Amino acid sequence: MARRRLAHHLRQRLKALHPVRQPRDRLLLQKNENSMNDEPKTPLRTGQGMDYGEQADVQQVHAAVQREKREPRVGAEPLSIWLIAIYGLAIFFGGAYLGRYSGNFIDGGLDPMGAPPAPKKAVAGGPGGGEQVELSPHDRGKKVFTANCQTCHQANGLGVPGQYPPLAGSEFTTGGSRRMAMIVLKGLQGPVEVKGQQYGTAVMQPWDKTLTDKQIGDVMTYERSEWGNNASAVTPEQIAAMRKELANHPESFNAPEILGAPDQDIPGGAPPKPGEATKPSAPAKP
Amino acid sequence: MNATGIPLKEPEVSAAAGDTEQLERAYIDASTRVPVLMFYTSAIAWLILGTLLAGFVSWKLHSPDLLGDVSFLTWGRVRPAHMNIMVYGWASMAGMGTAIWLMARLCRTVLRFPLLLVAGAAFWNIGVLIGVGAILLGDSTGFEWLEFPRYVAVILFVAYTLMGSWAVVMFRHRRGDQIYITQWYLLGAFLWFPWLYAAGQLMLFVVPVQGVLQSAIGWWYSNNLLFLWFGAIALGSAYYMIPKVIGRPVYSYHLATIGFWTYALFSSWTGMTRLVDGPFPAWMITASIAATILAMIPVATVGLNHHMTMQGYFPLMRYSPTLRFTVFGAMSYTVFSVVGLLISLRSVASYVQFTDASIAYSHLGLYAFFTMVIFGSMYYIVPRLVGREWRYASLIKLHFWASAYGIGLMILMLLAGGFLQGADMQNPALSFSESIETVLPYLRGRSLAGILLTVAHFIFAYHFGLMLLGLGRTSTVPTFLNPVEAEISGGH
Repeated sequence: MARRRLAHHLRQRLKALHPVRQPRDRLLLQKNENSMNDEPKTPLRTGQGMDYGEQADVQQVHAAVQREKREPRVGAEPLSIWLIAIYGLAIFFGGAYLGRYSGNFIDGGLDPMGAPPAPKKAVAGGPGGGEQVELSPHDRGKKVFTANCQTCHQANGLGVPGQYPPLAGSEFTTGGSRRMAMIVLKGLQGPVEVKGQQYGTAVMQPWDKTLTDKQIGDVMTYERSEWGNNASAVTPEQIAAMRKELANHPESFNAPEILGAPDQDIPGGAPPKPGEATKPSAPAKP
Repeated sequence: MNATGIPLKEPEVSAAAGDTEQLERAYIDASTRVPVLMFYTSAIAWLILGTLLAGFVSWKLHSPDLLGDVSFLTWGRVRPAHMNIMVYGWASMAGMGTAIWLMARLCRTVLRFPLLLVAGAAFWNIGVLIGVGAILLGDSTGFEWLEFPRYVAVILFVAYTLMGSWAVVMFRHRRGDQIYITQWYLLGAFLWFPWLYAAGQLMLFVVPVQGVLQSAIGWWYSNNLLFLWFGAIALGSAYYMIPKVIGRPVYSYHLATIGFWTYALFSSWTGMTRLVDGPFPAWMITASIAATILAMIPVATVGLNHHMTMQGYFPLMRYSPTLRFTVFGAMSYTVFSVVGLLISLRSVASYVQFTDASIAYSHLGLYAFFTMVIFGSMYYIVPRLVGREWRYASLIKLHFWASAYGIGLMILMLLAGGFLQGADMQNPALSFSESIETVLPYLRGRSLAGILLTVAHFIFAYHFGLMLLGLGRTSTVPTFLNPVEAEISGGH
């Protein structure tokens, strides 16, 4: 009977909240009820929109709520095999699309086809090159120089007087690439005269174990074309040839050994720059 | 089938229990009256204002000199004003009204703390009003759907906090041990919105991300708002209205579960599709397109679930306004998603990017899908709040056909115009202004469609006003779209 009490209670509160309106056209409606009824006519029905189990007095409470169907329930039909097939198709095509156009998941890869950014040959070394792979040998060499050489030879290439010889304008740097490659690969110790100044308190370490042919070629190309220097570029192949030639040389060179070598480029290099085609081996003596 | 085919409720409960349930529903309905009508009334007022601005914007596209000298009526200000009115004024408020009513009814508890909602609606209205004024005066942030300046965002957020916490409290006080499908979507929507809005505001204005990433955030926000806020409310409403009106259980619980979770999972990824060919890592956009493909899973699942629920009962759309609007909207959900997929694929997107096709897509989602479902729910809910029936079946019919033809025409015009303009823009021999001339007739057609929609909205607002003033029919039968007796006499 608790239910009945609750019903009564609710009805009282409802009446207070929501005054019942007596339909003014109720008589008219009842005349039409058989034709306007939204539910099938059954002998059970006595009023408009009534459901099974409703009482006539309830009906006046709220007609719209009265005639409502029951609250929606949920059926439990199983998943159709065709729907699972659609799921499979969507997952397959979604995955295929992702794989096809992912651009290899590169951070800066704007091309959905995944090709690495097009090499900008026309502007190589220009201000537009953003990727490391696009850098010119000169720019790559600068990185090698900053990481390995700058501590002694300084960023301006002038070295430290009395300790570290300069690279800017040095006869070894601007001369033939053979002498320079010997120094870089195997190192140099003992007194040496550069641009008329005596050096020799410090030792140049050998780099053949530390740097690759490409890095040495790049850094030499950089040093030979920076700070007003204007000597030929050096390719990795040239360094590889020199490395082979010097493979059995045990330790650092000294100045007389270097000066004993011919002041010329290593054979097999890149074609010399147009400006210096005529003087490939001419030492740039001041 | 005619109206006599509307199935019966079996006498499964005792008379007293049935009595109690109905009284309970009536009592709950009555308790939702003030807040829900407040939301609905504000929403419809915003709808009328937004419609007028939309017509103005549309007209300016082919007659740019129209009031071009008035600074606050220039295209660059009126268009964001129109969009923000529709998104925050109309769609959010109408959606919340429906969500509040459904929440109270499905939690089977009297609406608690109505002051939270009344205050929330008031703050929200003030926020939208100030925001629209700020946009018209030129104080706009420039991010689509987030044009409101920061001080307005604060007001909206305060208003939302009131309403969102109300929803959580209501859910906490629910009765009965079952949580119906609609409640999943509604609770999701109520929790997703603050996340979206806060993330959008934080990452764009408070601690702005750098550079082009801002537009990624902007698209993420507006796309997710469309899916996780508006879409979730609309799907929740459809899941209630369709089985309720035809009196039949939803086809399958399993489909509903899969549909809900895949919807939540995949649709939130799809925002980046608008950035195809933009300065973004390719994988970012492609992942979004792949998610759009995967979003076909909830589309197929929910669509099938609704279709199988309706199967055999489609003729009832001839009578029930609620059913007609809701089913139209639920079908549009499928169309919306399929069109969204088509214009996202890279090969197509490079054509339709930056054309009217994206506007067609937004209207498909926000109007053909969301707004139509919400109209359907309003036709169901309002009579229960005011105690009267809709006065004129003819006005409802007119509203439906004007809306349906209007939005259909608008989407066709914008899609066709968008594709043609895209083709022209790909053609290096044509200048940009020539591609604009191609679209011109389609823009005129869009204005025509806009007139239809304006008619529909004015009719609906008038009808709603009658209901609000207590001028609806006093009757115990609902207002059917077509007279039932003719069917019966014809059928039998």
